[in-house]
Amino acid sequence: MLRFIRQRALASLISLIGLIVMVFFLSRMTGDPAALFLPVEASAEMKEQFRELHGLNDPILVQFARYVGDVVTGDLGESLRKARPALDVVLEAFTWTLWLAVITMTLVTGAAIVVGSLGAFRSGGFFDRLSSMVSLIGASVPDFWLAIVAIVIFSINFAILPTSGTGSVVHWILPIAVLFVRPFGIIVQVVRGSMVSALSSAYVKTARAKGVKSGPIIFIHALRNAMLPVITVVGDQAASLLNGAVVVETIFGFPGVGKLMIDSILQRDFNVVLAAILVTAIAIFLMNVLIDLAYALLDPRIRH
Amino acid sequence: MKRTLIMGALMLGSALAPAFAASGAVKIVLPEEADLLEPCMATRSNIGRIIMQNVSETLTELDVREGKGLMPRLAESWEQKEDGSWRFNLRKGVKFSDGTDFNAKDVKYSFDRVMSDKNACESRRYFGGMNIKIDVVDDTTVDFTVDPVQPILPLLLSLLTIVPEETPMEFVREPVGTGPYKLTDWTPGQQIVLSARDDYWGEKPEVTEATYLFRADPAVRAAMVQTGEADLSPSISQTEATNPATDFSYLDSETVYLRIDHNIEPLNDVRIRRALNLAIDREAFLGTLVPDSAVLATAIVPPPTLGWNPDVKVFPYDPEQAKKLIEEAKADGVKVDTPITIIARTANFPNVTEIMEAIQAQLQEVGLKVELKFVEVAEHEVYYSKPFREGRGPQLVAAMHDNSKGDPSFSMFFKYDSEGTQSGFSDPKVDDLIARASAAVGDERAKLWSEVIAYVHDEVVADVLLFHMVGFSRVSERLDFKPTMATNSMLQLSEIKIK
Repeated sequence: MLRFIRQRALASLISLIGLIVMVFFLSRMTGDPAALFLPVEASAEMKEQFRELHGLNDPILVQFARYVGDVVTGDLGESLRKARPALDVVLEAFTWTLWLAVITMTLVTGAAIVVGSLGAFRSGGFFDRLSSMVSLIGASVPDFWLAIVAIVIFSINFAILPTSGTGSVVHWILPIAVLFVRPFGIIVQVVRGSMVSALSSAYVKTARAKGVKSGPIIFIHALRNAMLPVITVVGDQAASLLNGAVVVETIFGFPGVGKLMIDSILQRDFNVVLAAILVTAIAIFLMNVLIDLAYALLDPRIRH
Repeated sequence: MKRTLIMGALMLGSALAPAFAASGAVKIVLPEEADLLEPCMATRSNIGRIIMQNVSETLTELDVREGKGLMPRLAESWEQKEDGSWRFNLRKGVKFSDGTDFNAKDVKYSFDRVMSDKNACESRRYFGGMNIKIDVVDDTTVDFTVDPVQPILPLLLSLLTIVPEETPMEFVREPVGTGPYKLTDWTPGQQIVLSARDDYWGEKPEVTEATYLFRADPAVRAAMVQTGEADLSPSISQTEATNPATDFSYLDSETVYLRIDHNIEPLNDVRIRRALNLAIDREAFLGTLVPDSAVLATAIVPPPTLGWNPDVKVFPYDPEQAKKLIEEAKADGVKVDTPITIIARTANFPNVTEIMEAIQAQLQEVGLKVELKFVEVAEHEVYYSKPFREGRGPQLVAAMHDNSKGDPSFSMFFKYDSEGTQSGFSDPKVDDLIARASAAVGDERAKLWSEVIAYVHDEVVADVLLFHMVGFSRVSERLDFKPTMATNSMLQLSEIKIK
């Protein structure tokens, strides 16, 4: 198992290095941060001096060598815009994103497994059709629309939840509810599909013939075998949340890493962009390792 | 006796009045978080709206609320001496929020810091092209000797925020100033809090504490004021501004225009430039894609600016005349069939996509070949500012320019002088007029700026001026506050009254 993790880490490290190299050069090809930091009326000398101050005048390879040297010693540089270490800025934002992702995915996975399994058990029945419809709608509703509608209904009309912000527990309800909908819709479909085939397999029939009750059949016998594809999709969805839920962060004023990344790209705040990519990439790597472990736990064929 | 009683009652009344004046905390929701709270960056709106004149003060202050012109702030008075240099007499008994005394040395240091190469202070741009020597005469007197003589130095100093001498040259994140408020909390991504100071030199404002929140979505900002989560949002969208009791529109000092690149055929021909102007039905945009209260522009600066010229008339919508001019140019061999590209910036202002598409269609209507290209902010800058790309085609750059500072000098050189970074042409007469206007004072100055505005619009046909834009604010009914032209760049808490 350890060897497996080591191999994965090595492979991820190589792609991470490739990513950093690519982003470093691409971002520097797409525009001058001086032009964005200073107003359009700023003189050429001022822009020149800004570049000098931040080492942007050196040949790009020199800049790259310096960056790599700093990263190796654990220094991800300063944010051009905020005059503070890029890593601090990113970790601050990433903490919010991580909590949003963890809470949302826990709720989504639990709910989707129950709803999907029950739907599959009485495949074609009323509950199945209802849950299919709801999940299909969930998977296709645009989140910015949902977020605004949720604010209008719950904050303005009923005045029971705050519109946005981060002050207290109630502030988390709307963002998580909005983030919940799409992965829920997708995962319910996967659980259902996977469960339908698991429930029609020979061992389920055998269990039934032996008189095992419905509950244990669904949640013990079939579910364990149906979980593998579900875990893959859960991983996918969690990864997209870890990259930041840009729309939800923007609308609800959640200071997460998604909005930070977009803003930093637009402002050519290179160090923040690179630090954000580094942090989210490592998080996604760790999550993938967890998923692989979950596979191994569920399926002895992988374990051995 | 009776009179004494009345007098007494009046005196009692006025003595009690301050006690009855409401005071309290407010919450303000802004579209964009300040990435820094650096005083020398306060001329940038996301920073200025929080700290300008609230935390960091300037020697002078331009009043746009009552049109009183340039007012004293940290300077009590100023005068120009015979040799053209300026003397400023500073206010006494002023303390910074860190407890140190404000004096003339701080003024000199603040200026030196802005000009230092150890930072990238944006307010340096207002002092470009001049040599400034500052002499500290005594604690409350400071002389500015400027070469060449600078007639609007007092106005320029309304943009120089004063920091204590102890401030490091590098950017700070915790500003220290002489203003009525000091920074008491900054939780990045969440909130910034300013609290009123007890030891402020001036009148005590009614707002005791201001919490700034940041929401990128205008609908959410509007909703927050509606639900009472915030008291004031200086900018909401037009579609949200539906409640006359809380929503106010204001001319916001932004001017939308198409910058024409005169260097490239066929835009080098004045007939084509005139045709561009005649082909656009500006009126049709008002109340449709552009707010009803926007004003059609005849200058790059909005109407309350010195020298704004009421005699310059908006180009009429006359597609027939436009077609005729294009035909004439074509007959003279001008390559009118060359495709012209409009370069616009995504999300530059509300409805920019639809507005630019409509303009493209109107220009095509009169027989020009027009393409439309949207770019994001960094790339837009490459098209907008010099050096322009070699081998480019004819281009119109759609841009928005902000000048709330009352004098055209903040615009004219950049947009129209041969050396100006966003100037699409070169005309010796314009250069000369701008140079003379910049050096002139009083009525002469206003007259020369009027002349520049008329000449650039009518003779050179420098660009396609479109609209002076309006902004919309939502103000809670518990506050008494009307937005002004300056609201885009600063938000003085002392101007907010609590009902």
